[in-house]
Amino acid sequence: MSLEAPSREPLELLTTHDRTLDAPDKSNRLSSTKTGGKMVADYWENIFTAKERGKHVVWYNGTALNPIFQAAGLEWCHGEAFSARLAAMHLEGPAQAAGEEYGYIGELCSYARTHLGCAVMTQKGITEKQNGIVGMVDQEELASKLPSPDFFVNAYAGCSTGQQWDAMTYRVFGKEFPIFNVSLPMIWGNKKDAGYLRGSEWEKTPLYVEEQLKKLIEFIEYQTKKTFDWDALSENMYYIKRASELRLEAMALCAAAPTPATYWDWVASIAPINFMPANQALVDYFQGVKDEIQYRLDNKISAVQNEKYRVYFDGIMNWNKLGWLTRKFAEYDVAVVAGRYTHDSFWQEPQLIDLDRPLLGMAQHYLICPINHGLKIMEELLIKRCDEYGIDGIAFHSTRTCRAMTNPQHILARTAETERGIKSFFFEGDVADAAFYKDESLESGLVAMLESIDQQRARALV
Amino acid sequence: MSWYVMGVDLGSTTAKVAIVDDQGAMVGSKIVQMGAVSQEAVRVAMEAALMDARIHQSDIVRTISTGYGRKLVPTDKTFTEITCHARGAAALFPGVRLVIDIGGQDSKAIAVDQDGLVDRFAMNDRCASGTGRFFDVLSRALEVPVTDVGALALEGSDGLEVSSMCATFAETEVISLLAQGAEKDDIAASVHKAVAARTVGLVAQVGKASPVVMTGGVAKNKALVHFLSEALRLPIEMLDEPQIAGAYGAAIIAREEYLGNMASGVADVTTERELGAALSAVAVPHCAECATGHLDGHTHGRAISVTIGKRPMADLPGPVA
Repeated sequence: MSLEAPSREPLELLTTHDRTLDAPDKSNRLSSTKTGGKMVADYWENIFTAKERGKHVVWYNGTALNPIFQAAGLEWCHGEAFSARLAAMHLEGPAQAAGEEYGYIGELCSYARTHLGCAVMTQKGITEKQNGIVGMVDQEELASKLPSPDFFVNAYAGCSTGQQWDAMTYRVFGKEFPIFNVSLPMIWGNKKDAGYLRGSEWEKTPLYVEEQLKKLIEFIEYQTKKTFDWDALSENMYYIKRASELRLEAMALCAAAPTPATYWDWVASIAPINFMPANQALVDYFQGVKDEIQYRLDNKISAVQNEKYRVYFDGIMNWNKLGWLTRKFAEYDVAVVAGRYTHDSFWQEPQLIDLDRPLLGMAQHYLICPINHGLKIMEELLIKRCDEYGIDGIAFHSTRTCRAMTNPQHILARTAETERGIKSFFFEGDVADAAFYKDESLESGLVAMLESIDQQRARALV
Repeated sequence: MSWYVMGVDLGSTTAKVAIVDDQGAMVGSKIVQMGAVSQEAVRVAMEAALMDARIHQSDIVRTISTGYGRKLVPTDKTFTEITCHARGAAALFPGVRLVIDIGGQDSKAIAVDQDGLVDRFAMNDRCASGTGRFFDVLSRALEVPVTDVGALALEGSDGLEVSSMCATFAETEVISLLAQGAEKDDIAASVHKAVAARTVGLVAQVGKASPVVMTGGVAKNKALVHFLSEALRLPIEMLDEPQIAGAYGAAIIAREEYLGNMASGVADVTTERELGAALSAVAVPHCAECATGHLDGHTHGRAISVTIGKRPMADLPGPVA
């Protein structure tokens, strides 16, 4: 075969971005989650005025400590949640620039980078000379609206950055505000009797955390000069428990094929279950989601037009791309039905919550964060979800700045392949930094995986 | 009457076309190099392949395209390079279990099962390190034609430390090494070794297996084959024309689709996406439990088990009677 150089006529390569926008939208998101969007927007607007209302403000990250804060009459700001919100609104740029200009590198967790940037921007009146930022970003940007904290609480499971994040923020604020650290040990799962929610390690570790939560409440009492309202905590956990039960019941309905709702709907429902106030509105939200899903089942309305493939999503959400990925996967007849981030997080074991002893159930949930397990338990959970939801393939979001989530992914991929014959692919991206994502990479990997699934199905039928 | 199918692989720098007859034999092919994705190059390659096969366009009953620019080719259907390179390599080298495809734009490691179908795959990330582009960068920095960098590398020693993480930084490193007085052949050898190390990282994601076949234009670089073979501690089998594997794989799939093997009851071949699409009505896991309204958490007829254990292929998602 000879080689020759033809006359060149370069073409403009159609990007997957253009093609996806040209393609009909085959996704059918739940309408009930829009209520959550308004709840979340109202929640943040409320936070922005906390100081004017004379409220104490706590900044925290990681685990859902908000029922405690709520019972103590605090206003709470969850750093990751605010970063995710900025990313979802495509407003993360100024905060990330501020964080990077302050000195935090681009490889740092983009949640942390964004939130630390918010911390920098929140300090109104600080000059360029004082904070080191070249070209101080407009202080009227959303990122600068966060009220300064009165104190910090850190309770981060499974992620070393998370465990240092609040300490970094503490330094950004010149160490002027107190900080309380809760230590959440990894659930290693190494012992013979170990497994998900079982074994001696599981019996002992939550007790250690429960004791720390008691100390945290003493700390809050000291800071606020108010006696903690234990009845309010039990009441909050009642609402959390009920909302969680409804959420899980609704998720279980999505084992049906074609599925009436997808992973993307559960992503849209993370904020309410993760950090919104525990109240009847929260319960109503998940009742509404469940009702809509039941209605769809009864009326044979699917979340993806012409569902052919059921996919599990492993990785933290790429918040800049929620709508985009919803549409992208549906374009290929893929229903993303479950994921580690949505299904193995956020009060996912409500039976553990004892209203007479709320701190223990909370401690247990903080420890079953999906990045806080040893591999054996992660494999057990993955296989369980794959069986429950009839998974054909797995999309691994190789979350560039979240090592805690990505570290075990290749092993999990191999486990799914060897134990269940489930195909997978990887794509790069990030939680709050769109620069790490490339449409072409996602599409190539996704389509190659679907082709492999087709092969698998064809061979099974031959 | 004889009929023919065509596979077109439009890569980032090269257009490849293969023509297969109704018996599955490759009867014509053409590879045309170009500077960028080019429809003209595809046209030239198609015409040349038709001449090579001594047939006309009207004899082609089905065409499938693959490669980076596959969506630009006016064909019946597209498949990814992963599927096509696996199929092509398996046809050209029966029994292959690992395909390493390094093209101009990206690189892939593909584990192939006993039937020549894709088992697992891994692709390079957004970095160009380990791709043909990487060697373009090297040739520019060394001021040596890209076709000569392999031969140069085989003359040198590989003891210099070169980053394997980023093509851009590697260029900087090469210039720095030149400034320190390092010999060009040693630099070339060390860069090839670094690319091999990068490729081994991809292979690790799918699992080392043998026989190993290399496809794509970079497979013609003997130095890389040498260093990669050393790094893998496995021999690498060479195809007569490694660049044609993707187009040939596309043609094989086109033939199988045309045969419509399932519809005609022929069971000696397995097809891929077209077959999957044709069978979608039954392949979608719509199950009896769904239809009866027992929807809460059931598993489409499959046993619920949290115990990790092997699941036979027959248990994979399929039709429910």
